[in-house]
Amino acid sequence: MAIAEFSWSESKDQAALPGINGIGLKLNDEILISNIRWFIAFRWVLIAALILFEVLVLSASDTLVQFGISEQKDWPIAIIAVLSLANIAYIYALDHCQPCKYNSPSINLWVQIIVDLVCLSVVVHYIGSTSTPISFFYVLHIALACIFFSTRESLYVTILVCVMDTIVILFENFLFTQIPISTLISNHLSAESIQRDGAILWMFFLDILFFVVWYVVSRLSLIVRAHEHRLLDAYKQINQAQTEKDQYAVLMTHQLKSPLDAIRSKINLIKGGYCGEASPGVTDALDKINTRAQSMATLILDLLRLERLKDTCLNTAVLESVDIETTLHNCIEKLIPVANSKQVAIYVSIDNFICKVIPDQLEILLENIITNAITYSYDNSSIEITSEINKSNQSASIIVTDHGIGIENKDLPNIFNEYFYSPRASLHNKASSGIGLSIVRIAAENNKLQIKVVSEPGTGTSFTVIFNNIQLPSDRQEFNRKPLTKVSLS
Amino acid sequence: MAPRIAHVDDDSDIREAVERILCKDGYEVDSYLTMQDFINSLQDDANRPDLAILDVMVESMDSGLTTYAQIHKRFPQIQTIFLTSLGDMIRPYFEDGSHEWVCIVEKPVEPKSLLAIIHDRLDNTEAALQSA
Repeated sequence: MAIAEFSWSESKDQAALPGINGIGLKLNDEILISNIRWFIAFRWVLIAALILFEVLVLSASDTLVQFGISEQKDWPIAIIAVLSLANIAYIYALDHCQPCKYNSPSINLWVQIIVDLVCLSVVVHYIGSTSTPISFFYVLHIALACIFFSTRESLYVTILVCVMDTIVILFENFLFTQIPISTLISNHLSAESIQRDGAILWMFFLDILFFVVWYVVSRLSLIVRAHEHRLLDAYKQINQAQTEKDQYAVLMTHQLKSPLDAIRSKINLIKGGYCGEASPGVTDALDKINTRAQSMATLILDLLRLERLKDTCLNTAVLESVDIETTLHNCIEKLIPVANSKQVAIYVSIDNFICKVIPDQLEILLENIITNAITYSYDNSSIEITSEINKSNQSASIIVTDHGIGIENKDLPNIFNEYFYSPRASLHNKASSGIGLSIVRIAAENNKLQIKVVSEPGTGTSFTVIFNNIQLPSDRQEFNRKPLTKVSLS
Repeated sequence: MAPRIAHVDDDSDIREAVERILCKDGYEVDSYLTMQDFINSLQDDANRPDLAILDVMVESMDSGLTTYAQIHKRFPQIQTIFLTSLGDMIRPYFEDGSHEWVCIVEKPVEPKSLLAIIHDRLDNTEAALQSA
């Protein structure tokens, strides 16, 4: 005896969505690495600014003194040297060392922040921790730590900032009786304003500010990260749903088409004489049944094809270099039996080129255009497939021309609409699904191709597919227009 | 000796149509309802077919493909044709989609083209055996 239990509880995925609970929400290594590079680039800009400042000080010290900026000692050069060496070390660790326990993007960022804080503390000390607003630059490090680290790690950075700022202020105001070794603002402008009590108050105020900034930015960062996680999760769910939808569409297509296939197989048996002789009346009726069943079967398959094409943008479709001659050859080979059944001759003259497309979709697009050309041609006529290459703007066209019923002027703007129905076209071809050109349009959109249609009712239609950014094959001979060649079943 | 052909399809109408066409053309046909029946039959060497016609969606969505993978590995000499309602639409399910070795025929069963494909496939086997 077999027993199976079933339960349909709520989706677990919903509950698994991360809340704003803090510590778990860290950025992945890929994002950290891209930001490490951004930090390094930003640091080079800062180094360049410091070098420029140093050059200015050396070349025009008298003028700067007039503006209240006194001559600096060697600390800017030391900072430039330390930051440059550190930057080179970060790049080396990132690009030339194997990632390991001690060389992760997170550790790289930590080292950057500590070195930067030490350098900033030196700058704050020399410029004046209480006499200038330079200490506010610490806030930048806290904000960056909140963005790129977890809440706990950013708190450590904030504590480190407070400790360093406190040390600088204490060192400056309590361990030395005189004013800083050198200040940017001239002594006579600031010396009298420095009071010990004021320094304590300033230190206290700054530390409070640092913690407030940490709290606000880390909360905001958590909210942003939680949303980012939700988006990522939603994207995964969409992709999963997409796969399931495709499977469902395939299953439905199969279930809908199978009975028709069984009916048409039986018709083929009767027509092939496997069930005895059939009278002309019966054969005629069977032909009509077959045509209608074929129309329905084509519609079912085309709907699946259309759905798959529409979904392409959700997946990461890979564009590949495709050889147009081979693709066209494959399409024509498939369609020769259809052309033969209508006694439509196919003439081809193609100069090969290579285009970047989704290969399956280009085949579907060309197949549909050529099928249309055959379908709407008059019996015993011909279709021509030619190419034009424009070397100057690296574009090329494939032109499919038929000699058939053509398209009326009023219908021409609507032929690519999904729900467009032309009674005149349906009268000529009862087996048409009517969505072939919608498939062409979506395939063209997905592959960034342009299509031009020229038609004369009663004379024929010409579809031109325009490819941009093409390449010419390396073995291509300088081109002489090839003559039109009739293609027949090999 | 008449070439032996195995046909797997869960649709009895399709099984009957294929059997009629192939028997009339002189083939020996074994029809199976499920892929498992067919795989079980392969344990007996006497039952081994020259060619297998497989539906794709029988017990599951890809049972035809998994069966193909199995028999292609164990019995590479057995030629295989997929006879499916979905036609070329199943091609994306072949990961390395080689057009050479995967032959997909879209239903309905069309006697002339089915026989032409079977002749062609069996001729390929003979040519391969002779060259070996």
